[in-house]
This record gives sequence, structure tokens and C-alpha cells, in this order.
Amino acid sequence: MLLQIKNLNKSFAVPVLKNLNFELQKGEVHALLGSNGAGKSTLCNIISGIYTADSGSFEYCGQPYTPSSLQAAETLGICMVMQELNLFPTLSVAENLYFRSMSDRFGIVQHQAIQQRAIKALQTVGLNYIDPAQPLSQLGVGQQQLIEIASVLQRNIKLLILDEPTSALTGPQIDLLFEQIIQLKKQGIGVIYISHRMDEMSRIADRVSILRDGELVATEATTDISTDRMVQLMAGDESTSIDKKESISQPCVQSDSTLLKVENFSRRTKNQSGGDSGFEDISFNLRAGEVLGIGGLIGSGRTELLRAIFGADQAHAGYIRLASDEFKVQRIMKSPTEAISHGIGMLVEDRKSQGLLLSHSVSKNISFAILDRLTSKLGLVDQSTEQDLAMSMKKKLGIQYNSSQQPISSLSGGNQQKALLARWLAIEFSILLLDEPSRGVDARAKSQIQTLIRELAAMGKAIIVVSSETQELLKVSDRIAVMSNGRLAGIFNADELSEEKLLEASFCFYSSEGNQLETTNART
Amino acid sequence: MPRIRFDRNLILGLLLTAVLSACSSEKDMENESSTSKSQPARVALVMKSLANEYFINMMEGAKAHQLENAEKYELIVNGTKNESDLAQQVSLVEQMMAAQVDILVLAPVSSKGMLPVVKRAIDQGIVVVNIDNRFDQDVLQQMGMSVPFVGPADREGAKLVGLEVAKYLNAGDEVAIIGGLPGAYNAQQRQAGFEDAMTESSLNIISIQSADWESAKSATVAAAILSENPNLKALLCSNDSMALGAVAAVRQAGRTGDVLVVGFDNLSAANNLVQSGELLATIDQHGDELAVYGIEYALQILHSGVIPENIITPVDLIVAK
Amino acid sequence: MLEPKSKSHIRLPWNSLGLVAVLIVLILFFGLMSEYFFSAVTFRTLVNQIPALTVIAVGMTFVLLIAGIDLSVGSVMALCAAVMGVLIIDQQTSIAIALISALLVGLACGAANGFVSAKWRIPSFVVTLGMLEIARGGAYLVTNSETKYLGESVGFIGSPIAGLGISAALIAAILVVVIAQWVLSKTLFGRYMIAIGTNEEAVRLSGVNPLFWKVLVFALAGLLAGLGGIFQLGYLQSADPNAGIGLELAAIAAVVIGGTSLSGGRGSVVNSFLGVLIIAVMQAGLAQLGVSEPSKRIITGLVIIVAVLFDQFREPLGRLFQKKRAA
Repeated sequence: MLLQIKNLNKSFAVPVLKNLNFELQKGEVHALLGSNGAGKSTLCNIISGIYTADSGSFEYCGQPYTPSSLQAAETLGICMVMQELNLFPTLSVAENLYFRSMSDRFGIVQHQAIQQRAIKALQTVGLNYIDPAQPLSQLGVGQQQLIEIASVLQRNIKLLILDEPTSALTGPQIDLLFEQIIQLKKQGIGVIYISHRMDEMSRIADRVSILRDGELVATEATTDISTDRMVQLMAGDESTSIDKKESISQPCVQSDSTLLKVENFSRRTKNQSGGDSGFEDISFNLRAGEVLGIGGLIGSGRTELLRAIFGADQAHAGYIRLASDEFKVQRIMKSPTEAISHGIGMLVEDRKSQGLLLSHSVSKNISFAILDRLTSKLGLVDQSTEQDLAMSMKKKLGIQYNSSQQPISSLSGGNQQKALLARWLAIEFSILLLDEPSRGVDARAKSQIQTLIRELAAMGKAIIVVSSETQELLKVSDRIAVMSNGRLAGIFNADELSEEKLLEASFCFYSSEGNQLETTNART
Repeated sequence: MPRIRFDRNLILGLLLTAVLSACSSEKDMENESSTSKSQPARVALVMKSLANEYFINMMEGAKAHQLENAEKYELIVNGTKNESDLAQQVSLVEQMMAAQVDILVLAPVSSKGMLPVVKRAIDQGIVVVNIDNRFDQDVLQQMGMSVPFVGPADREGAKLVGLEVAKYLNAGDEVAIIGGLPGAYNAQQRQAGFEDAMTESSLNIISIQSADWESAKSATVAAAILSENPNLKALLCSNDSMALGAVAAVRQAGRTGDVLVVGFDNLSAANNLVQSGELLATIDQHGDELAVYGIEYALQILHSGVIPENIITPVDLIVAK
Repeated sequence: MLEPKSKSHIRLPWNSLGLVAVLIVLILFFGLMSEYFFSAVTFRTLVNQIPALTVIAVGMTFVLLIAGIDLSVGSVMALCAAVMGVLIIDQQTSIAIALISALLVGLACGAANGFVSAKWRIPSFVVTLGMLEIARGGAYLVTNSETKYLGESVGFIGSPIAGLGISAALIAAILVVVIAQWVLSKTLFGRYMIAIGTNEEAVRLSGVNPLFWKVLVFALAGLLAGLGGIFQLGYLQSADPNAGIGLELAAIAAVVIGGTSLSGGRGSVVNSFLGVLIIAVMQAGLAQLGVSEPSKRIITGLVIIVAVLFDQFREPLGRLFQKKRAA
């Protein structure tokens, strides 16, 4: 037994891992499977010392183990290769491989020595054709990913955690990586393997553990479990019968008035770590009084799609048509200002870095997007109207704060989010794009925000909600579009969609064979 | 709420300005009458850059003199940050006026720009003596003032060092001048002195450029002149700081010995170079005594009220021993 | 509406009080050290020296507020003064035309700074460093590297008004401070400046185009540098192409002493003005004492650092102050 975890608990305001038991044998490849937010990454971060657990017991190599930091874990032979690459593009391949041991004790970089060593290291991941002296930035993303893995393999490891290592790799590179993993197994090294690609499970993993909402629901040998069963377990057994309309009223506006047509919309870019991100060939219609949910995994292009509709980033191909132009004009929004002038608002995904003016007061945050309208010809801001606006929004949305002059940074996440929503409600909009509207807010605020979304729809607004929480999507949406790897996997009527089906659709463009799922397209 | 914050801040600022600008108008009356004749005179020496050794020497000379004559006068010495900061020198003079000095001995940054503030000082009853760099005579006349000047014979000195260069050259040889801050009287005088000597010796001035009295600028300017004029025989620099820069440029160009360099001021570093031969000659204008001459002359005027006349101090040619 | 006072609110007046305290300590110190310092003449002289630095520090406050920096103000000031001097002396234009031309030159330099840095996302440090050289070259070019002497024709700008003791330039500069503080705390422009300095991306995603406002801020800084040039010209009664070398650092020092954050989003014009006064008092006092040049530099440096340290700890100090008052 290499690693044994018992009754692990961890919460960030809300419980993320609940009474989790996990074990890893020497020489075993143990896959972790689960949808977004199931707790896979948190578990790995705890094992590798980045986070500390709230409670639970750890045993590593037969010894009690309390991982205190990344460095502490590494000295014990536990290494993690993260999804985001931790490499230095301007340094050479060799310097990246031996970043922490490249110099002698006088601080002089030993170029000759590390390049010699690098040649061997590169062979282990099949990159023998790469010159160790060339800058890392000249390499492709897949090659960089392999360099990162090679760099970890150079260390004296006993336990390796791989977080989606194959997402940027080509078929032959994956084969090579798997050969390496098999080598590691032979040396008795345990591997924890996270991936969204179902087909890889039976290929490389010995056992698979399925996480759902912070709980480990099953651990099975991969030979004993089918892909369908895995999806079922991820979704949860009860998911087929969600009482989706709990407290939320049904849409009362069932008009057929389309407000927005998105046609063959595409935007493909390299993301920070160099991988592809964005979306391709997306088409759908959005009607007044409707909530369209967008589901799919993180990184499937949902946020990028919303940002392009809003003009925060420009789409590369395709266009949108608006009811206000009688659908005659093909538009690509060039800036948020332009989108807002056409009645489109957007609540951003990361409120701290993109939405809030953290040191500003609540009222200043609420009024910001309509500040020009609160301003006299002299440029004077009408502060009493601004206060009134803050007060009315406070009542309307139940934002809790002591003083409207209080900096918004002192509010809870839920109240911050409500204040940002209030910023958009203050504007005349017909279409509202919400990216993860209830992320990082407590349960009560979450249900209030969801109710508000339904109310807005009932008033005839058209709303798109991106959410990683399947329950939330099913609860607030009339229809749900599922994105997978930048493409639209299908649009479903919310009452016909099960959580299981949604997950299946989310994964459909990730499998390396690329078999497309048969989807029941709802009335588009 | 924000209204209160705004106003309070503003009031604080305004109040302070008011306090500073108009605190007690009676007080200056008191001060004026309190300056009795029995007390030692208060002398302000305001110079140019105290980063230049020439002015440091001047200051040291003045301080030593004051120690010997402590019963006669008190001394306040100030200098600007660099050789060209007119605004700072004006404000220094104004502060000296506020500090109720009796005498102002001034080495002006600018021959013209300093005149308005000097006029105010004179109007306030301060005895002003001009040293080192002479005020512009035209503007001085325009303003109906006369300020006694105590300073070296810049033009004669420059001619002296220019003639020294000519000894080593043949008629028609190419020379270049690196001048001081354009617009400064002493820069113009020294340049004129160089030109006098060159004309007399029929040497050919191919380039005149300014390096603002500063060593680093001079090195750049000299390097450019050297690379463009392969037949250049001499670089005449209007002060030693610039001569040091020029020597460095000549050394860089590998033309030590082929291109003669002369300076002005006899700084210690320049003197060393003269002795080693890299610098042909410089002029000692006895900077350390210059301020002392000025102070003594001003004290004389203060006590006797004689009609101011200019004093030209002697200069000496310095060559290798 | 009755609301309890929030923390952020008490902070600012206390901060101004801190600067005033520093100023009083400095004045008392110099008053004790020199018998002539504590006089009306000293203070009158002192405040009549600061109009140029004051208006330039106002412009710098705005630039730092949007997380930019403007290194070109000293050179732009010299260029504007040079243009004005040359127009009056060599071109014989009326003073009004020369004045307007100087302001327009400043505005153009600032707008160029703003446009290049905001449009092509080049750090303003680099762009204004370039402008520092360009404007200085321009100043040498128009004046032919000579100090232009103007005499009494422009004396009305910088000379003390009879019976008042302070100059027209100082009154104008204080007016600029008042208006700028009003713009900052009351107007849309002020709100947008603080917001851009706090979170530019959030501003963009709220449908406000930061480009326009950033260009406006730099243009304004240029315009104020031009105004500073006019004040300087009036004060010196001559146009000096070498004027304002290193002035950008004095302006940044004043603004930073005033508690404006170099990373943007926080600042106050009045506090910058207090920063200017602190620097001016220090320079006047050290000059009257006849302190040697090296010591002057070292003391000035130390006071800047101490004032900023003081600013760092103003929140704990403010809380202490509150507690004592409550007790």
C-alpha cells in the first residue's frame, strides 16, 4: 500500500470533500473521474501539499503523513504535473528540465552538464530529436507537456499525479506517455491519473474512482466497469428524477419572439499554456422570456462564446443577428460598449478580476455602467440618485450591507454577485449573459439568484446562463445547450434532459476517437 | 458624506497656504530694524553645481576665509543640483533674500535669466557682487542696473591656452572647440578667446559644439568630432570637466598624442593629466580665491559705499613641469 | 438616509492631517534652526515658487490614478515655456496668443503620450520617456539653445501682486487644485479615473471605453505641464530650454508623499498639493541653513521615504486615533 486516506474532509465555505476514503497501491494507475467541481483537483492538491485537509488520516509508505507544503511533499517523492504548465518559455529546454539544479554552488549555470543530462531525459519521453539548448517557446504545446512530465520523471518519485496530461497530446505522443507510465508501474511507482477521456480509462488505469459532489461514490477495477456505468455514477442515480421546478415558477411568457440569432459563430485561440481554446461553428436562437442554459466542462468554450457575443473578445467567424435590426444585419460585436448599446449585458465569470471595483463602495459599483446617465452636462455625478439606485437595488435583490459607502470588498461573495447583477439591472437590456452566476456564493444567495433569473425571464428578457453545476442548469433553464471541446454537442429541452445525458454530451467531443453523440436537438 | 471629506481636505490645504503666505506682516518690519550694524554682516554665496570640483574649491576657499574673519561676517553657501538649473538658483537667491542677508555673492547659472531676481535683491538693499560668470551687459543696461563683477579674464585666459596649443601645430591645421552652456557669458568669452588665438595663429576651426560644461556630454561630442575629422589636431575645451571627457574620447579613439586637448579651471584631475601629458594645458583662474575676492570686495562696498567697479582676477597657464 | 460611518471614510481626512503634521514639524524644525526662517517673507517667497510644480503635480496625480506615469512633464514644461518665449521675443506676437500656443503645445504632447500608450498598449513609462527626450530636443530647437530673456512683459504672471504678497500664478495654481479635487470627487471623469486605476478590465466590460479617458488624462497632464511652463516663464521672466530637468521626479515625489498609489486607483489632489508644500518647505529651509549639497540630497531622500512609510501605516494610526477619540 502506497497511500491510504481515511475520512478526508475539506471545505471552502461549503464542503468540497466529504468523508472521502481513497487508496493507492504501489505500481498502480488509479484514475479519478468526475464532473466539474466533484473534488478531483482538491483531492490532488491536498495529496501534493498545496492545500491542507480539515480532517482525515493519511498513511504514506506505511508512515503517517501530513503534507504541509508542495516542497515537503516533493521531498517525500510525491509529484504532480498540473494542467497549467509551470514552465519558462524563454529558458532553454535543458534549463527548464533542471530548473532547480542547473547551477553549481557558486550560482554558475552548468550548460554543458545539464544539456548532457537533458539528452537522456528527453529520450525517456521520446523527444530525442529536440535540441536541449533551444528555447522552450519554440516547442509545441504537446511537446512542452512532455517536457514537464520528463522534468518530473528526473526526480526521485514514488507517487505521481497527472492532471489531464493528454489534453494537448497527439495520438503517438499519448502512446509514448502511456509507455512511460507502464515503465513507472514496473518500478513500483503509484500514479493518480485524472482525465476526461473515457477511452483512456480501460487503456491505462487499473482502477477508477468516481467522485460526485465531494464524495467518492465508487472504486472499481477498470475491467469490471463499463463507460456507461461510469457516466451513470458521475451523474448520480437520483439524477434521472430531479424535481427541477422546486421553488421556481415556470416561464409565463411563452412567446415565439426570437431576440438573438447566433450563426456559425467561431473563435479559436491559443490559451496561456498554448492549448487550443475557444469555440467553433456555434448556432442557436434565443427567445424573449427564455433562459438558455449552457452546460459542458470547464474549458469547453462556454465562457469564450459569451464573451464573443458581448464583444469582450471578437469572434473570428460567423455573426449574430438581433431582433432590433429585424435580423437583417450580420454583426460581430467589437466592444462591450457596442453590445450594451444593443441591449446586451453580461455578468462575468471572475467577478474579482473582471467585474468588481474592489476598493469602491457598493453604490459606486452598482451605478458604474450607467454613470454617464447620472451625470449632468457639467460632468457632475448626481450622488443622491446614485444612492437611491443603490437603495432600490438593495431592496429588490436583498443585498446585505451596512452602508452603501462600504467598500464592496467587505461584502460576502453572494452580496458582491448581487451587486454586480444590480449593475446590469440598472441598464435597459433585453439580453443578459450570465457566466457562472452563482459561483462562490452561499446556498441562500444561490437560490435567490436563481429565482431572480426566472423572474427576469418572466418579464420578457432573454437570458443565457453558463453554469458548471448541472443541478442549477436543470433548475433555471428552459433549454440547455451543451458544449464539448469547443463545439455544440446539442440543445435539449430542460425537462427532457437528465443529468446523465448532459454529462454524456459534455464528454462526447473529447474522446480520442471523436465519435459524435446522437443528440436530440430541441426545436431550434 | 463625500461632501464633508472634500471640504475638509480642501480647507486644510487652503488654510495652510494662507498661514504660509500671510502669517504675520508685522514680523518683517521687526526683522529689518533688528539688523544692527554692530553685528557681523550676513553673506550669501550662491554658486552653480556643487557637483563640480571648481565650485567646491571656491566654497572651501570661502569657508576658510570666513573662519579667519568670523568677527566680520557670517557665511551661507548654496549651489544648484546641476550647471543649468535656473529655477533652482532663482529660488535659492529668493530664500537668501528671505533670510535677510546683507551681501549676495553670485556665480550665475545664466547671464540673463538671473537678472530679474538680482534686481529684486538690489531693490531690497542687498549688496550684490557677480563672480565667475558675468551678467549680460546689454540686459543689465536695459534694466538700468550696474552690478560689480569680480572674475577671471576668461577671454585672455582662453587665448593664453589657445596660443599654447598653437606652438605645437602648423598653420592651417584643423582644431575644434567644445564650448560651455550656450548663453552663459563665460562660455562665450572663453570661446571668443580660443577663436582669437586660432585666428592669430592661422589655425582652422572646423567645428564648434556645446557640451553644457559636463564631462559625459563632452565625451560624446568629442567622440563624434574625432570620428568625422581624421585630420583633427586639437580639441579646445571651455572647462576641465569637458576636457576630461574629451581626453577619454581621444583615448578611446586611440589618438592620444595626435590630438592635443586643453581645458580651463585647473581641476586636480586635469592637473594630473597635464603632468602625465594627456592634457596639454589648462588655466588656473584661482577659483578658490575667486569667491574670497568677491566677498572682500562686497564687504568693502557695504561699509564704504564706493562706486562699484569690475575687478579682473589674474589667470595662470598650467603646463607640465 | 442615516448610515453608520464606514472605515474608508475616516481615513482620508486623517491622512491629510498626517501630512499637515509632517509639514508643521518641518516648519517648526527649520524655525528653531534658523532665526530668519519663521517669517512672512520666507513663506511668501516659498509659496510663490511652487505654482509650476503644483499644477504639474495635479496632472501627475491624475496620471498615477489611472496606474500610468508621465516622465515627460519637465521637458514638456520647458518646451511650452520656450514656445511662448520665442513667440513673444522673436515673433512679437501678443502675450495672449503666446499663452494659448504654449497650452496647445502641452495639450498636444500629452495627447500624443496618451494615445500612443493607450491605443497600442505600450507602457506609459516608455512612451513618456521618449517624449521626455523629444520635448527637450524641441525646446533646444525653438530657442536655439539660448535662454530667452523676456523681462517685465511677463512679470505679471509670477511677481507678487502688490498688497497681497502672492502671485497671480499661485492663485491660478490653487484654483487648479480646487477644481481638480472637485473633478476627482464629484464628476464622471473622476469616477472613471479611479475605476480605470482599480480595474481597467471591469471598466471595459461595463461598457465604458477606457481609451478615451486615458488619452484625456494624459492630455490634461500635458496641458497642465504647459500651464506650469507659463508659470515658470513668469517666475523666471525668461524662457530657459534647460528648465525642469528632473522635475518629473519632484512631481512624482510630491504626489507619492500625498499618498497617491503608484499602482493606481487611489489618490487625492489636495494631498498632492500638501506633498508639494512639504518639498518646498524642505528646500527653502535647507537653503536658508546653507546645508551642503550632499546632505540636502540625503535629507530630501529620507523625508520622501519617511513620508511614504507614514502613509503605509496611516490606517493603523487612523484606527488608534479613532479609539482615543472614542475613549
